[in-house]
Amino acid sequence: MIDYKDQLKLQSYLDGELAESDSREVADWLARNPEAAALKTELDQTRKALSGFEDGIKLPESREFYWSKIRREIQRQEAPAPPRPSEPWLYRLRRFLVPATGLAVVGLLVLTVTRDTGSFDASVETALEDSGAFTYHDDTAGATLVWLSYPADNEIPDDDDLNSVD
Amino acid sequence: MVKASQAGDMVAFEELVARHRDKIYARAYSMMRNEEDAIDLSQEAWVKGWQRLKQFQGESSFGTWMTRIVINLCLDQLRKHKRQRTESIEEMNEDSGGVERQMPVVTVNPTAGLERGELRQRIDRALGQLSHEHRTALVLHEFQELEYKEIAKVMGCSIGTVMSRLFYARRKMAALLADLKRENSK
Repeated sequence: MIDYKDQLKLQSYLDGELAESDSREVADWLARNPEAAALKTELDQTRKALSGFEDGIKLPESREFYWSKIRREIQRQEAPAPPRPSEPWLYRLRRFLVPATGLAVVGLLVLTVTRDTGSFDASVETALEDSGAFTYHDDTAGATLVWLSYPADNEIPDDDDLNSVD
Repeated sequence: MVKASQAGDMVAFEELVARHRDKIYARAYSMMRNEEDAIDLSQEAWVKGWQRLKQFQGESSFGTWMTRIVINLCLDQLRKHKRQRTESIEEMNEDSGGVERQMPVVTVNPTAGLERGELRQRIDRALGQLSHEHRTALVLHEFQELEYKEIAKVMGCSIGTVMSRLFYARRKMAALLADLKRENSK
């Protein structure tokens, strides 16, 4: 049995991939070794059998049909990207109109609320100054709101209290 | 014709396609073993060829340049296929190595006396039984006439792997052709 390394060397020899000195060495070995010579013959036969194989393969489509698909694809890829349709002036204006409308709505709301709460029937007072509470009373709506801050001003400890250690 | 095509003449390019279409298709078919894939990939190669025509410097023949494009497309496709399927037992055997080392030498020429058409048919069947790595190594060496180092570069493997794949492919082809000869003589 021929060593695998030598088998590959024999193949390289057949493919013309060996240096001249190595080629001479393989040629000598082939002359002395019938097993190696038989392997060389087999590899040669396979190579010869393959030669010309592709010559017999013909494209199974007509010239026109084959080319038409290629041409279509080339034209498709080369066609410039369709330009974006120009925006009508109303669309361009929309980007400014939307925030402006938003602002207008907010403004209107503020005005409405101000007008309602600005009536003489409403009043704001600090009913319990010590506790930091504010009272809002609207006679028209008949509602009273009380804001309480927590902790109440009178509950905030002095710095001295914080620093003192019991 | 090539110069005219490079200048954007599509009529000249169509003529180039007509001249080389069989060769480009044949290379794709040898690698893919499938008519439909071979047609699609060869057409894709022509589209790419048109887009890259300006890069063609004439260092090789136009036909050789085009076959390189189609080979690369086929390799990409085969790699995609390989990622999608699990390895066959055949491939595992080949990768573990050694099968081809023990194959008995085919002493009788299995293709002797065959008509060209019949020979082609048998080679076609035998090529179809190789894994795509072995077939590609064989195609690149026998048909594209690339050297080991060039095949290694194209296939993204070592020269040693190319040698092993080529050796396995050749020995397997010899065995398959001998089997086909025995089958037909029964």
